[in-house]
Amino acid sequence: MTAGADRAPALRRAATHAAIFLSLIAAWEVGAQAGWLDPLFFPAPSAILASFWRIYVVQMNIWPHLGVSLGLVFAGFAIGSILGVGLGAVVGLNALVRRFLQPYVIVMEATPRIAVAPLIIAAVGFGAQSKIAIIMLVCFFAPFINTLSGVVNVNEDRLQLFRSMGASKWQILRKLVLPDAVPVIMAGERLALTAALSGVLVAEFIQRDQGIGALILTYTRNLNMPSAFACIFTLTAIGFAIFKGMEILDRRVAFWTNEEGLRRVGLARAAAHATLAGGRHG
Amino acid sequence: MAEGQPVRAVRAGALLLRLMPHLGLLVLLLALWEYAIRSGSITSIMVPKPSAVIGAMVDLYIVKGTIWPHFRITLAEAVLGFAAGAAIAISLAVASALSDPFRRYVAPYAVVLNVTPGIALTPVIIAWFGFGMGSKIALAAVISFFPIFVNTLTGLSQRDADREELFRSLGATPRDVFLKLRVPAALPLLFAGMKIGLTTALIGAVVAEFAQATAGVGVLMNRFSFKLDMANSIASLLSMTLIGLMLFYAMEFLDDRVVFWRRDARMTAVSRARARAWRAGNGS
Repeated sequence: MTAGADRAPALRRAATHAAIFLSLIAAWEVGAQAGWLDPLFFPAPSAILASFWRIYVVQMNIWPHLGVSLGLVFAGFAIGSILGVGLGAVVGLNALVRRFLQPYVIVMEATPRIAVAPLIIAAVGFGAQSKIAIIMLVCFFAPFINTLSGVVNVNEDRLQLFRSMGASKWQILRKLVLPDAVPVIMAGERLALTAALSGVLVAEFIQRDQGIGALILTYTRNLNMPSAFACIFTLTAIGFAIFKGMEILDRRVAFWTNEEGLRRVGLARAAAHATLAGGRHG
Repeated sequence: MAEGQPVRAVRAGALLLRLMPHLGLLVLLLALWEYAIRSGSITSIMVPKPSAVIGAMVDLYIVKGTIWPHFRITLAEAVLGFAAGAAIAISLAVASALSDPFRRYVAPYAVVLNVTPGIALTPVIIAWFGFGMGSKIALAAVISFFPIFVNTLTGLSQRDADREELFRSLGATPRDVFLKLRVPAALPLLFAGMKIGLTTALIGAVVAEFAQATAGVGVLMNRFSFKLDMANSIASLLSMTLIGLMLFYAMEFLDDRVVFWRRDARMTAVSRARARAWRAGNGS
């Protein structure tokens, strides 16, 4: 009963969303066809769709660029974020290092990180290595800072409880500090992956050789705006996939922060325990 | 006031004492770095001597002064782009907070805009607005929009039922509730968003300068690094850091002034000043 009652307004809302979206697109299309909208600024939606069809299906020229860019994003992200978490933990757990590193962290925070791109290209040379190095660098900071603050901000009351029950340093780290830090670290990873996507684009804009950033640049230079927009909307889809994927990963890894994850892992552990106990008895 | 001066002096002394080990470490590191290059342990042209970087800074800022026009342009691009982005973000967030339908039907587009890397628009924006400052301001505005929008909306959406009831029972109009309860409650988050937005705006300006521009610190840095003039490149990078720090601390200062009630010391100062003003007003 209630489910049906809930569904009707939800449906109506979705319909309103669709109506607004479609009328916007229709107005845009009509305006573009009639020549009221400058095709340089607002290429017709039908032209953008046609470009999608052309670059994905007919010419298939976006695929290699997409592959190159995504490969670089994940490689750079993996290296950069592992370094970030590792160094963040080392620095966070060591008060002396932390105190002396803090001013540098503040200075690095204020520097537009992407601005080191030309320096890295000069140092490493053109090509994939320098791109990975740039992505590594932009991926490093968010996990580093978040791990650092996650490790430092330990709940004092709980720490006291752990100590008074005679927990060892390792136990405190493993069972108190890390579990509390994981959600913050995951938030940092999410920021890093988004930054990686921007990082690869900037690297490709500067090097202008291959990848989705270079493709956008080429299309824009030729004033082929529909194709440029098709590439940008592709990036919207990738950005959305990253956002959703990281959300799911977050719920899986930091399972204790949400009800459903807690139940899932609890059940699995109970089942494992039951089979173990059963094996011992039988 | 009489005791204010010595207290401040003592504080400055303590600060200096606290800074000493940090400065010592910095000088030691720089000296080691300098020594490694002079003694030939590091020979790469990619790693300039610290003294060369300092020399480049002095040259750029004082002797030749070549950096100033670029410095001003990048600073202006970041600030103007931030102002435009913040104005749009705050007005959309206020509209979303005031009107449920508006929020329901507009917010999804803001989210779509957020998952698109704003940087991807760089070439398109340059095609739209040209090689000059306009395109840099536009990119800065686009990428600084979202953090400000989302923080303002979150801040305005947090409702404290108790306080609202108190306001209403004292006969406050909806307008009063919005201006005197919800807006002040949202300000700390709004400022946090603006701090992120301002740093982001600088990134937008610099990236657009890398892509295509005629002037700005980004252009300067690109030119130096293509010439493999690493000392000057690093000096340009440090200039961007300087702009970033300037912008950040300007916003921090504004935050401190406007949201005075979050710091005890500022709270006391402001309430004292108000009491004084009130007494003066009553006395006359």
